[in-house]
Amino acid sequence: MNKNDIKLIIIILIIIIILFLIYFLNTNKANMAYVYYENDLILTIDLSNDEIYEVNGENGIVKIEVLNNQIRVIEENSPRHLCSKQGFISNSGQSIICLPNKIIIELPNTEIDTEVS
Amino acid sequence: MKKFTRLSMLLALSVALNVIETSLPLLNGYIPGLRLGLANIVTLFIIYQFSFKDALYIGILRVFLVGILRTGIFSTTFFFSLTGVLLSIISMYFAKKYLKLSIIGVSVIGSIAHSTGQVLASILILQMSSMIYYLPWLLLFSIPTGILVGLICKQLVKFYERNLLVENF
Repeated sequence: MNKNDIKLIIIILIIIIILFLIYFLNTNKANMAYVYYENDLILTIDLSNDEIYEVNGENGIVKIEVLNNQIRVIEENSPRHLCSKQGFISNSGQSIICLPNKIIIELPNTEIDTEVS
Repeated sequence: MKKFTRLSMLLALSVALNVIETSLPLLNGYIPGLRLGLANIVTLFIIYQFSFKDALYIGILRVFLVGILRTGIFSTTFFFSLTGVLLSIISMYFAKKYLKLSIIGVSVIGSIAHSTGQVLASILILQMSSMIYYLPWLLLFSIPTGILVGLICKQLVKFYERNLLVENF
């Protein structure tokens, strides 16, 4: 490792810190969740009601749980179960992606949505 | 001819490394797309010992082979990998040529470019701007994995040059 390598790493770290700051300043709790299957909106979920939803994914049923304004996938059939391991999400802009099932759960940015409409 | 044999062996090695690292999920998959980038050892080695063109060929062939073997060709993951690999090879080449970096710095650049490429591809293909939230996490982990790959590659280049000299005598 030479001096330039260290300079490079410091520059990258500064960029990362700036990105994190931008995200943390912009986060707000979402109140809606959109569920997509193959880019088609199949379900809109209100996060204020605790409930368990079931949607059909590529490999069978995907169970989605809403609890205390948070949302997570609790059961799905995929090789590595990445989306159920991901756990709860609650901030707008976050998402759970289950590629094997072609299911995407997205928490929309409500502020931007109201501005558009 | 010798070069072709060497390159094809390297291609096989990079496919094997790619398969190995997909079975080693880091952090239990809490951050999608996070990997060690072991196959990048081969790409970096080819850039240093052969040429940029060879690295590009081997990189693209690797994505196709891994696509056929595991993820399915022309699937979503296939395009993620392709964008990541192309961006990382091109940026590593330019980093090596124009920035006064050691092999470790070049490796970090490649790692960062790979993460950025994958995030960009997922934004474009899945039409999901929210993927950008993973970018800082991926970049943060790109630094240690990039350094690791760089260190391994440094030893590899040293070893290879020493043995090449012996072979030629």
